[in-house]
Amino acid sequence: MKKFIQNTMFFLVIATILYLLFLFLWGRFAPGVLKPNINYFMGSYGHMFSRVSEAKQLDEKDILFLGSSHAYRGFDTRIFEEKGYSCFNLGSSAQTPIQTEILLKRYVDQIRPKCVVFEVYPPAFGSEGVESSLDLIANDVNDWHAVEMAFKIHNIKTYNTLAYGIFQDQLGEKKSFVEARIKEKDTYIPGGYVEKEVAYYQPSSLPDKKISFRDDQLEALTEILSLLKARNVQTILVYAPIPSVNYKRYVNTPYFDSTMSKFATYYNFNQSLSLNDSLHFYDSHHLNQNGVELFNQHMIEIFEKDGILPLK
Amino acid sequence: MLFNSIDFALFLPLVFVLYWFVTNQNLKVQNFLIVVASYVFYGWWDWRFLSLILFSTLVDYFIGLGLKSEKHQTKRLLLLWTSISVNLGFLGFFKYYNFFLDNFITAFSFFGQEIQANSLNIILPVGISFYTFQTLSYTIDVYKRKLEPTRNFIAFAAFVSFFPQLVAGPIERATHLLPQFYTKRKFDYTKAVDGMRQILWGLFKKIVIADNCAEFANQIFNNSDHLGGSTLVLGALFFTFQIYGDFSGYSDIAIGTSRLFGFDLMQNFNFPYFARDIAEFWRRWHISLSTWFRDYLYIPLGGSRGGTAMKVKNTFIIFIVSGFWHGANWTFIVWGALNALYFLPLLLTNRNRNNLESIAKGKIFPSFKELGMIVFTFLLTLLAWIFFRAENIGHAFSYLSEIFSTSLFTIPHFKRMMYAAVILMLVAGFVIVEWLGREGQYAIAHIHHALNRPLRWLFYALIIFAIGMFMPSVESPFIYFQF
Repeated sequence: MKKFIQNTMFFLVIATILYLLFLFLWGRFAPGVLKPNINYFMGSYGHMFSRVSEAKQLDEKDILFLGSSHAYRGFDTRIFEEKGYSCFNLGSSAQTPIQTEILLKRYVDQIRPKCVVFEVYPPAFGSEGVESSLDLIANDVNDWHAVEMAFKIHNIKTYNTLAYGIFQDQLGEKKSFVEARIKEKDTYIPGGYVEKEVAYYQPSSLPDKKISFRDDQLEALTEILSLLKARNVQTILVYAPIPSVNYKRYVNTPYFDSTMSKFATYYNFNQSLSLNDSLHFYDSHHLNQNGVELFNQHMIEIFEKDGILPLK
Repeated sequence: MLFNSIDFALFLPLVFVLYWFVTNQNLKVQNFLIVVASYVFYGWWDWRFLSLILFSTLVDYFIGLGLKSEKHQTKRLLLLWTSISVNLGFLGFFKYYNFFLDNFITAFSFFGQEIQANSLNIILPVGISFYTFQTLSYTIDVYKRKLEPTRNFIAFAAFVSFFPQLVAGPIERATHLLPQFYTKRKFDYTKAVDGMRQILWGLFKKIVIADNCAEFANQIFNNSDHLGGSTLVLGALFFTFQIYGDFSGYSDIAIGTSRLFGFDLMQNFNFPYFARDIAEFWRRWHISLSTWFRDYLYIPLGGSRGGTAMKVKNTFIIFIVSGFWHGANWTFIVWGALNALYFLPLLLTNRNRNNLESIAKGKIFPSFKELGMIVFTFLLTLLAWIFFRAENIGHAFSYLSEIFSTSLFTIPHFKRMMYAAVILMLVAGFVIVEWLGREGQYAIAHIHHALNRPLRWLFYALIIFAIGMFMPSVESPFIYFQF
């Protein structure tokens, strides 16, 4: 028995070392199709690399935007700057509260925002957060927060990509990487916003969906709010506009609204702002630049009317 | 609890430590630990159905004792039928109630009679077909005086609920497994290491082969109306390896886990896709179920003793019942009948026991004749699996008719074809490993002798890496849980 346990332990150590070695070699040399569980792509869609590179240099800002692609494609920092509000957009692709929490832990004490506008999109609360975790691993630093995130998400793809990302960080790959400011139709705007060349959505009917909440995402949201409260940062939850065909497919939106309202000050701009599905969106859930301008102006007006802006 | 889950990865070492270090001084306590662990294992899925296992255990335990003390043959027969009725009654209710109800309604409406009856929303308890058959083997063997009934309730409860094989077999005979609970188990290093190796191979089969093949089999079968014959052939091929990897993988994990605890379970799969004819396939596929039907149905029905007509009739009965055992759907019945049809020519020409020896024993390659026979048998099996996987009979026939059309000669087209090609390459590698290890209990059993320790460990590490690299993001339950 003693021999069995000793050998098993020894094998586990050897197997772990070999696994990491294979992972590194495979990740580096195998073609993409052969590594479905390593998804490490620096400079991936959404300009996250540029955004976090800029975030590391930042100083105090009035407003910090967080959330999914609806945040970095929906809150144009130039519009807020014009109104005299300094701001930064730290949204990322498919960001769920689990990633938001990590980003806040990393950057909130550096950016020291007075107000955080957190974009809440229903599917993010039902998502495991794998896609966004890979975006963060490949484009941001891999520290203990990243390990904590991997354990929370508990997915083999996240574990493998994180292990590979740590190897890459040790080799200094990120230090030498430069991300293009313009990629296809996307242009990175300093401040974190990504402007897309104007395009128009052709709406088509979408099947009904029910909004569901994962416990871990709600726990992360609670953590986010207590973290911000401890720093005396005002937090606003925002459901950014999406095309009405998409908005109406969610059969339990009132439930989502009431749940969000319990957490913090909450605005559902799908109800207060009337936009045209074709003219103001470029796909089934993203505003085009025309829509962004209308939305941001409206949001500022509402916030000023409700006394959220100007910030005290 | 799934074998391929973190829960089980924590559960197994915990039970192992308690078993060998805490309860090892007392056999009863050790058996009791197995019962508790097994109930936790099963209750992890749905604790409410533990009452079914407990009830079945109590009924068969007391009927076993009754069969021992009762001398009167009629009363013994009555006791036996009580056990059969209770066990098959549960199985019938949970698994077949809605099937029979729906078919009665359809049959009556055919004759112009409308019957108002609502089908029930019944949850099928996981593994009910497996443990029902296992406990039945006990009462039948006690009735036939092949086995002494046990007075040791804990040992009997452990036999019924033994967690490695509780939910998907192998379906053990009481004569083989129950006595292992009577004697003190000694830890055997070689056996335990072999068990670990078999678990690893089972995990590879399930996670790398079955779960990846499942993605494409599901995609193709679920959209078969819009796909051409060549794609549908690939769908059937993916399902053929999915079902084998899934079920034989489960059996490997079950057998390997049992060996860690000092138990021996029967071999359940013996490289069936290398069979040279259908009779050999059925001697190699789900062996514990095939032999169960042989011993408790085919032979009591008269077996091969009553001439050709009886042989044919009994063959069809066991194949059809075996199909129906898999699920309450006509597709399974047709699948069983189709296999009986495949079997028939061999039976009628007395060639059903031709290929009893190992395939290409001692050789690396089979002869051309053997290869031809293997490929032909494999294709027959592949076609039969279409009925097994299809949603209904209509689906199966439309699937087959598209295969046997000119679209068979078009280029396959479906989502993620590049990754499907990678999976097919993995399947090819898997088949080669299985071929090289076909004379062992499982494909990599011979590794222990074939490679020295560093190479062996490197090989295991590569398997673990393949699991980590090709594991689908979502844990999939084993297909046979639904049976």
